[in-house]
Amino acid sequence: MALSTQTVICRDCDTVHRMVSLNRGDIACCVRCEAVLARYQRVDVTQALALNLAAAILLVVANVTPVLSIALDGIQTQANIWTAALSMERGWISCAALVLAATTLLVPTLQIGLLLWLLSFASAARRAPGLTTVLVVLHLLRPWSMTEVFLLGALVAMVKLSSWVSVAAGVGLWALAGLTIILAVLSKYEPRSWWALDKVFES
Amino acid sequence: MFAATVDLIACRTCGLIAPRLSTLSEARCRRCASTVQARLPRSTEKTIAWLLAGVLLYGPANLLPVVYTSRVGGGESSTILGGIVSFWRSGAWDIAVLIFTASVVVPATKFAALGLLLWTVRQGSGWRREQRTKLYRLVEIIGYWSMLDVVVVALTSALLQFKAFGTAEPRAGIVCFCAVVVTTMIAASSFDPRLIWDERVGDG
Repeated sequence: MALSTQTVICRDCDTVHRMVSLNRGDIACCVRCEAVLARYQRVDVTQALALNLAAAILLVVANVTPVLSIALDGIQTQANIWTAALSMERGWISCAALVLAATTLLVPTLQIGLLLWLLSFASAARRAPGLTTVLVVLHLLRPWSMTEVFLLGALVAMVKLSSWVSVAAGVGLWALAGLTIILAVLSKYEPRSWWALDKVFES
Repeated sequence: MFAATVDLIACRTCGLIAPRLSTLSEARCRRCASTVQARLPRSTEKTIAWLLAGVLLYGPANLLPVVYTSRVGGGESSTILGGIVSFWRSGAWDIAVLIFTASVVVPATKFAALGLLLWTVRQGSGWRREQRTKLYRLVEIIGYWSMLDVVVVALTSALLQFKAFGTAEPRAGIVCFCAVVVTTMIAASSFDPRLIWDERVGDG
């Protein structure tokens, strides 16, 4: 990326910096408040696309297989993100169901889907239609993705119920764990670096 | 050197830097078309409003039961703190500490930290600006972990559906708790950390 001799302004304290060129492993920090300004990175489209495809597959698996299940006297109950949200669909408690479904299902799906859209065009050396809108939406969605919180919640629920009945971890739980790891790797890419895909303004 | 003093503005959405044209016109970023402003408009007022909403909801979130469990021979409603206490008594102190951190420590930290930031910014204080900026980043990072208890209640309610053995149902407290998470997250994102660095006579 052409980061050298660029001017960078710190998000958190408004300090103006002249960017130096970064070497592998370097992280540029704000001289005044130590916020991360940039990391050394090339947006490796092929790698990012592969990670995103893996994330998409795991997201589907996590949603079609049980995350947790209980078997008792021949009756079995299963739960995943969708059924967990549905279980709160009662009167005005449904508001919590909506927030849960949005943050653990809708937002991650949109994030993965939109990135797939951008990256599949980028891998064909083309600018994705609607790139600007997509990047702005991704920026807005970022704080609201809570896959890792759901994973920890599933583990807590498992421990909580296991003192009472025997709870089995389903395929979905492993899929969620894998998804959390991949999303963490993908978030290493500074969201702003995706703007490098916008060839129009790349100098 | 601050961007505001050299008439530069960075787009909050995409990071593109543009010269400040006029304080009157509402400029748009030439790359992503987002509104570009030197500081987020009415930042402290919005943060105060969302934070107050969060504080007000925090009461019912803790006082109202979040889940009702029925077992053979009776049922009981439990609050978040009640749930933590029962984990602690049953020997699962690690889970008790985890839920206590996510449901009590994190929201309390957010209230205290954002309260402190708002107060010092309104005073135009120059006290420990670097540490206060880091405190703001901490609030941003920990914010969403409070959803933990909502997930636990939802999964428990989805799994415990045995009429002969026991069932679990969510209760009103969980909605208040969920609302606390959402309002405090919006409060944190409404706060403009650059205000910490603005001098009182500045043009912030």
